[in-house]
Amino acid sequence: MNLLTLIPEILQDALWSGLAALGFAMLFNVPRHLLLACVLFGALGHATRTLLMGFGLAIEPATLIGATIVGFAGTYWANRLHIPSMIFTVTGAIPLVPGAFAYRAMIGILSVVSATPENGGDILVEASTNAIKTALLLLAIALGIAWPLLLFQRPKPVV
Amino acid sequence: MVNPFKPETVPSGRHKPPLNYEELRDVIDLALWAGQLLLQYGADTQLVEETIHRLGTGLGCDWMDILVSPNAVVITAHSGLDFRTKVRRVVSMTVNMTILTEVSAVTRRVIAGDIDRFELRKELLRISTLPRNYNRWMVVLMVGLACAAFSRLFGADWPVFIVTFFAAAGAMFVRQELQRHHFNALLVTIATAFVAGLLASAAPLLRLGEQPSLALASAVLLLVPGVPLINAAEDLIKGHLVTGIVRGITGGLLATCIALGLLLAMSLMGVNGL
Repeated sequence: MNLLTLIPEILQDALWSGLAALGFAMLFNVPRHLLLACVLFGALGHATRTLLMGFGLAIEPATLIGATIVGFAGTYWANRLHIPSMIFTVTGAIPLVPGAFAYRAMIGILSVVSATPENGGDILVEASTNAIKTALLLLAIALGIAWPLLLFQRPKPVV
Repeated sequence: MVNPFKPETVPSGRHKPPLNYEELRDVIDLALWAGQLLLQYGADTQLVEETIHRLGTGLGCDWMDILVSPNAVVITAHSGLDFRTKVRRVVSMTVNMTILTEVSAVTRRVIAGDIDRFELRKELLRISTLPRNYNRWMVVLMVGLACAAFSRLFGADWPVFIVTFFAAAGAMFVRQELQRHHFNALLVTIATAFVAGLLASAAPLLRLGEQPSLALASAVLLLVPGVPLINAAEDLIKGHLVTGIVRGITGGLLATCIALGLLLAMSLMGVNGL
């Protein structure tokens, strides 16, 4: 896909994901002067994912890359500002949370109860697909924001 | 040049004058207090351990032995030939990143030698009584908007966006009220998801938009246990298996409660959800 046609979509995406990160940052009582940074990290992670998906990448690797960028950028800036890195990484990862997949997985698993022999297979496959996607995306988020610490914080243990 | 990815190295414990028994009592008390604040307001285990160790050694101890359990902190502080051990229970688990930032900042000042233990006590008292940064109505509004923004990210159209906003904002208000009265966290989650589900059912019932069920999926996102789950992952990766497993189970339980509350609301309203 052409980069130029993607730009409006990416900007819109950044706007909504920034807003999502902002709401959660306020829920987590992030200090006022760090709010804008949280918005930017939220927008950065999700817009990266949307951009990569626009280039044809699947959602799981795109999420991993988006979360990794949030992880590295967030850890770097948090250490420069001498604040705990989770402030940026957690709020930045919030927009990547696979809420819709989790919801569909839950509804799907429950509708297995009322499935008939004819459609039972389809329902089960769809529910499992959504459940596995949810699990993989959560794993990608966790891995993405945790591994900067593994790569860069290898001092002699202090404790 | 300073590597910004690496935290400062800890001053070595050698050549320190030994603390007397009173001083040791004060230091262990303050270190426990700081650790309790961190654990209670959403820090991962590594951060709790490191902060306690830095505070203790920064205030004159030779070494700190720390055990962070999911709901308690145990410390043994060593100085000279003496040592003291103390346990502190940590009761509630919420998220407050201002407190994490402040405790980090005060720890840096102790390491730098800017403040002593008397001033640290005043600072910790100030930190633990800090008011919240945002007015509760502001939080209701912004959390509503955040969930509505999620519905857009999932591909919903404007009618669903508006329903999601009101459902999430209403649910957030209910959650604040329940938390204010100290209800059990799981119960609060079920009740909040139930309210969000009731309000968001308006979208499928009135056949608003292309994918009305996205309102149901988005309106409960304010309850997602993001901090426990991410901390669980970090703890497990860094080898703090006990706290990691407990936090993972906490997150899983909260997620199950979201599903339960939402399903109750959907079956009551007769919405099938797809």
